[in-house]
Amino acid sequence: MTDLFHSQIRAALDNPVLQSALDGNAERRQRAFSQAFASLPQGRQALRQRAHAVRAEVIAHLDQYLAQFIANLQANGVVVHQGETADQVVQIVSDIAQNAGARLVVKSKSMVSEEVHLNHALEALGVRVVETDLGEYIVQLRSEPPAHIITPAVHLTRAQVAQTFVEKLGIAYTEDIPTLTRIARQLLRQVFLDADIGISGVNFGVAESGTLCIVTNEGNGRMCTTLPRLHIALMGIERLVPTLDDLALMLYLLPRSATGQKLSVYTSLIHSPRRPGEVDGSLERHLILVDNGRSAMRRSPLAESLYCIRCGACLNACPVFREIGGHAYQGVSGQYTPYPGPIGSVVSPGLFGVEEFGHLARASSLCGACKDACPVDIDLPKLLLCVRAEGANLAHASSSASRRLHVPASLRLALRLYTWLASSPRRYAVAQRIGGGFGWLASPFSRWLRLPAFTGWGYSKDFPLPNGRPFRDRFAALHPANHVDGNSETLPPPAESPHSSNSKPLAQQFSDELAALGGVVVHCSPEELAGRIAQELMRREIRRVQTWDESHLPAGLISALRESGVQTQREPDPQIRAGLTGALAGVAESGTLVLSGGAQQPLTASLLPEIHLAVLREADILPSLPQALGLQSVREAPTAVLISGPSRTADIEMTLTIGVHGPGELLVYICG
Amino acid sequence: MNLPVQLFVTCIIDTLYPDVGEAVVRVLQRAGAQVEFPSAQTCCGQPAYNAGLRDQALPLARRTIEVFENTAGAVIVPSGSCAAMIRHGYLELFADDDRWLARARRLAERTYELTEFLVDHLGVVDLGARWPGRLTYHASCHLLRDLGVDRQPRALLAAVQGAELVELPYATDCCGFGGVFSVEHPEISAAMLERKIASIEASQSPVVVSCDAGCITHMNGGLHRRGKTQRAVHIAEVLANTEDKR
Repeated sequence: MTDLFHSQIRAALDNPVLQSALDGNAERRQRAFSQAFASLPQGRQALRQRAHAVRAEVIAHLDQYLAQFIANLQANGVVVHQGETADQVVQIVSDIAQNAGARLVVKSKSMVSEEVHLNHALEALGVRVVETDLGEYIVQLRSEPPAHIITPAVHLTRAQVAQTFVEKLGIAYTEDIPTLTRIARQLLRQVFLDADIGISGVNFGVAESGTLCIVTNEGNGRMCTTLPRLHIALMGIERLVPTLDDLALMLYLLPRSATGQKLSVYTSLIHSPRRPGEVDGSLERHLILVDNGRSAMRRSPLAESLYCIRCGACLNACPVFREIGGHAYQGVSGQYTPYPGPIGSVVSPGLFGVEEFGHLARASSLCGACKDACPVDIDLPKLLLCVRAEGANLAHASSSASRRLHVPASLRLALRLYTWLASSPRRYAVAQRIGGGFGWLASPFSRWLRLPAFTGWGYSKDFPLPNGRPFRDRFAALHPANHVDGNSETLPPPAESPHSSNSKPLAQQFSDELAALGGVVVHCSPEELAGRIAQELMRREIRRVQTWDESHLPAGLISALRESGVQTQREPDPQIRAGLTGALAGVAESGTLVLSGGAQQPLTASLLPEIHLAVLREADILPSLPQALGLQSVREAPTAVLISGPSRTADIEMTLTIGVHGPGELLVYICG
Repeated sequence: MNLPVQLFVTCIIDTLYPDVGEAVVRVLQRAGAQVEFPSAQTCCGQPAYNAGLRDQALPLARRTIEVFENTAGAVIVPSGSCAAMIRHGYLELFADDDRWLARARRLAERTYELTEFLVDHLGVVDLGARWPGRLTYHASCHLLRDLGVDRQPRALLAAVQGAELVELPYATDCCGFGGVFSVEHPEISAAMLERKIASIEASQSPVVVSCDAGCITHMNGGLHRRGKTQRAVHIAEVLANTEDKR
């Protein structure tokens, strides 16, 4: 038990603003979670068991998969570094930044970078570091750590965000969330364009292809990995999957579990730095594989916690997190951990020491809601119990200080006494009688005992008096019978939910899904296409468009647009308001466009402008994600990206706002 | 049918709620079982196990295995978390001890929570119970998530004559007990209990039924402290009641 921890808990419980924010988070996330899983092609249970097996395989043979992954990355031209410790990781990044003469770094969300305290180290070198995920940006302005691994500003109300913007950005006070979002977009846009280095995390690495998969909704992940000339990705060594098929499985689970989406808006699949002839993409890419305690944890009883894919579902499901929020999860001496909630109460002690963080595992009723919510079926209650046992052992063996920290002395003493009593039925029976007599003496006129608050129990509830005549004394009067023969039956397995199928035509399904995400679908014939696009541009008075090369668009489209008075260019330009691209494929089940980068297909055309127009051939619409990830062109592209609707955020009070860093409008022309 | 079974009554019911223990015996007898009670039993060791004090849990786990291993028939536990302790906790506790692990596994394989045994093993749903008035059901965590038992108690309650079974809002949310958690983290436990009590009030049922004596102690302790009239009862108390009064 730690005084600091308890004071954090009390402060959180006494903060009505935080309480209502946490309630809102839990309720909305849990609702979105159950709706999202209703749309899965297979039952959730079957998928999470497969995902568990995939993650178990990776962790069991981690060295082998890492070697394969690294070899593929290097063959693709990515520079790979390995950081054993937090200090080494910071040193590697610092060296790259100094060699590049970097002054400005943009970051998309990376929990690993929080873990190694990267921002402070870079700032100490005189490098300005700007977080670009809206939630991270807000907490950075407030000099706070993130309060949740997915929604860093979950603890703040719109009024608090508004006040922060007034104080730090000098704007006029407004609580209008779209306005606040627009202001952040404008400020950060210039930062993206000026940055020397983009730093990102990695959601998954794919061993067979050397793919770095990064998932964001706002588009900041794409900005950080596309615009700056140098990209540094930080990745925990455990975040691997063997194949692109396995990646598809994880992508079925991660966004649904994290935010209730079928897919996040942007799923980037990065393979290499910019290649000759290409007009965008970082010129240099580095990957830093971060160990920082993971190899040691892999050899410990907590190895299963390395299966985690950092979706945050266990935080949203946890009744304790709902009461105390992310900031309360701290070390006994105030040391910071970026990982709160149930998974954090396992990995924080696992990675950073049981002595400092072991007490967190005791703040759980072991209700198991976290295990139920986990998309990879991690047995979190079991792991929490392992941490408790380790903490107890540690306290047993070492100083009186840690004994006080992990198992309260009174509780240890009480449980010792109880074990001694319960080890002998005779002692036990005597104790029951004494207990009954004592209860009667303490509370002669009631069946209840009002214990004082310091006992813990008495803080909020009364205790029933022990019965003077325990069951063991009564059983004999109940006509018990004798002898038996043993029998045991295994329980029937739980029923699988039926496979859902969708019989709608693929183009229709694609349109419905994209419309639900706020995208617009236009069905037209190849003959109508140029006219429809020109009309749309004219209506908005757009005269200049960044486009893909004609060879990757329907024949004659570019020349027809030019004839209508629209200028087209392949090179990115922040002043251009519309981007026109083709698409490698569409994914019907989630309304997703699959785009591959390359010399003729600049990725900035679907990223920088405020409007993205895409042409998709009806024949290229595929039913589901695994087929899209199986396309050869996806593997061979320097970077491929899956786009599911316009850029969005829900970082302020979980209010959905369209158009953050990426395009705010997405129009897809489906051509027969 | 006269199927012998072993009752592991649990330390809480033995000491605090002997009436519940009697109700369990009556229900099992009515379902056709012959109930035996090995009197050397005490506690399964869950409190120390959950506290992380495995050295203190071990002697109680070994004792429980010894007490039941030479008896016949299924071992019936009228409490979800204690049944889960024997079924799953013991296997963790003895993971590094092959000899005891084998003995623990044999016990785990014949251990059932009460409602699970009645419905899945004996195939009984209607026990001829009567309960005038409204009832609501709290799904205890270890019963629901560790043992996967939910439809069984609901089916048993649905068959009770005279009872109007209403759904408890957020029925699967933890009540905040969690054994040692409720004394180590009284503030968080209290906040969770507050929500559970609000849900019980919202259900407009005077009685909330549970299959775990720990949850019952916790919910009743909170209801009593707050001067509420609702109360938590063990499912055996409902199932044992055969008259129109209670």
